[in-house]
Amino acid sequence: MNAETEYVIETKDLTKRYGDVLAVDTLSLRVARGGVFGFLGPNGSGKTTTMGMLLGLVHPTSGEARIFGDPARHPATLRQVGAMVETPTFYPYLSGRANLTYFQGVKQRGAKADIARLLELVDLGKRADSKFSTYSLGMKQRLGIACALLGDPQLVFLDEPTNGLDPAGVVEVRELIRELGRGSRTVILSSHLLAETELVCDNVAVLSRGKLIAQGTIQELLRSHDTTRIRTTDDTRAKAVLAEVTWIESVRAEDGHLLVEAPAERVWEIGRDLAKRDIYLHELTPLHRSLEEFFMDVTGTDPTTGRTKE
Amino acid sequence: MSLIANLARWEWFKLRRRWMLWVLLVFAILFAQLAVWGGYFSYQNLRTTGGELTVPASLQSQQGRAPRTVACNDLLSGDAARMPSDLDAQVVAGLAAQCRQQAATLPARTERAYLGFTLPGSLRSALSIVQTLMLILLAILTASAVGIDYGAGTLRSVLTQGTGRWTYLAAKLATLLLLTGLGLLVALATVAISSTIATNIAGAPPAAAGSTAATWSDAATAYGKAWLSIVPYIALVTFVTVFARASAAGIAIGLGYYFAEQLIILLFSSLFSWFSQVADFFLVRNITAFTGGGGNAPIAGGLPDETHALLVMAAYTLALGALAFWLFEKRDVAGATGGG
Repeated sequence: MNAETEYVIETKDLTKRYGDVLAVDTLSLRVARGGVFGFLGPNGSGKTTTMGMLLGLVHPTSGEARIFGDPARHPATLRQVGAMVETPTFYPYLSGRANLTYFQGVKQRGAKADIARLLELVDLGKRADSKFSTYSLGMKQRLGIACALLGDPQLVFLDEPTNGLDPAGVVEVRELIRELGRGSRTVILSSHLLAETELVCDNVAVLSRGKLIAQGTIQELLRSHDTTRIRTTDDTRAKAVLAEVTWIESVRAEDGHLLVEAPAERVWEIGRDLAKRDIYLHELTPLHRSLEEFFMDVTGTDPTTGRTKE
Repeated sequence: MSLIANLARWEWFKLRRRWMLWVLLVFAILFAQLAVWGGYFSYQNLRTTGGELTVPASLQSQQGRAPRTVACNDLLSGDAARMPSDLDAQVVAGLAAQCRQQAATLPARTERAYLGFTLPGSLRSALSIVQTLMLILLAILTASAVGIDYGAGTLRSVLTQGTGRWTYLAAKLATLLLLTGLGLLVALATVAISSTIATNIAGAPPAAAGSTAATWSDAATAYGKAWLSIVPYIALVTFVTVFARASAAGIAIGLGYYFAEQLIILLFSSLFSWFSQVADFFLVRNITAFTGGGGNAPIAGGLPDETHALLVMAAYTLALGALAFWLFEKRDVAGATGGG
């Protein structure tokens, strides 16, 4: 591992084609070290395929993927990484503890005491010696998270980690992910639960139909498409004036207000420009969109179902 | 190499927790015991009866009876009380004549039976019985050990730990080969114990009749051959399991191929004279030739010679092994298929 590498993940023109289907299309992505990185996209957008290529499970058709600056699929690189991809899979005839012991053994990282600690961390201490085949979906998910944390990896992939968890479990896992992302460790969180993602992620990348369509901090992404609600002394004239301002993306009247889409950092200029024409503001309210609204706008799809927005 | 050794260690961690491994070992031990105790009872039978002759139903005075056996010692004793009362005197005389003919070879047969259940001959006898069974048992174990990663979807979890693909498969196969060797040794150890017990029960050995006794070296050679003969079969089952991504396919082919090959040879050899030459390149036929040609055992009629068999086995191992590794390395890894 190159400790000096600024980016823990770098992909360049990464492409995966299954026959006629282009699952991932020339994806070029960089993930900086530290924090929680959200990997978002509707079902079938190429998130899991991309993770598969980074983890050496899927062979790219073309392009390049690097982790810590080294080729992603190299076994020595993967030993520095923890991963839970899709539904966690373990040996059904082994207990949770025996499964973790096995995976720690093949990974050759960490101490024996880590297993008990991790089982407690994911609240599986009492069922640690039960066979995996007897676990509920939530317990399987927790064991998957524990397994991903074996060897204290500096990069952790978690694919839909809250699947099957009860509400209390979801909160616990959310806290855990936040905790994991502190310091130099990087957590890659793949999810279609955008409200969850918004709460824990520092940076996100949005994929749609195999293509990267947006990347940045959540604040940047949401701010870049902010809407401002204004009410003026003369809305009809104000709409005409603002429609001619080049940096304003759109102006529309709605419910007795004007909704202005414009970069957040220039919103203050609205009041100035209107005042020059003797139009004065009664109200100027920045409307912050949720990540979900942003996602639906940029992907044109529902984040949960992946269906095209009506 | 150390990576493979570590993975093999953890493969053993998984395998030893599966009941299947221990059930298969018990089967191997039980079949190996047949060589000792079957041989012992055959020896005792020869000693007490002097050999037995089967009397077909057609030669019995009461029609409709099942074929029965008579002991040569009874027929040659001259004691009327020991003569079979339900047979015609003419039939009895004919049987007695046969017994007198066989009496010449009785010491040699008795000695061979004795050498078959006493050490070290019993080891070779056991291997000849266990070897076929081991192919079938190993087919089940190999398919199960390789196939579970597809069925349960654990291949994904394992490979993301940085095991490497070919190293993981190599470690799995190395573990299976090592366990096969150890399993055979355990079975032979139980044979050695039983053999010692049977030898003590049998008492003094029969008079020497010039039969060639198997040596410890013969037993070691037979062990090596039995172990080596399993390698191409493991390669076959591994290839099928990896190709189909299912242990069921590996088990089905592993079990079915053994019998199917013999049926095909039987059928086509009777139809086409040239087919026997083609059959000389079939896997099970060459395994049989290789193990049957060991030590002092005669090569069964029509089987290829030992060198030919070894080369064919090596070719199968390389071809099937290379295909299995290539597929394992090249294919994308999906989720669980649901098989065992």
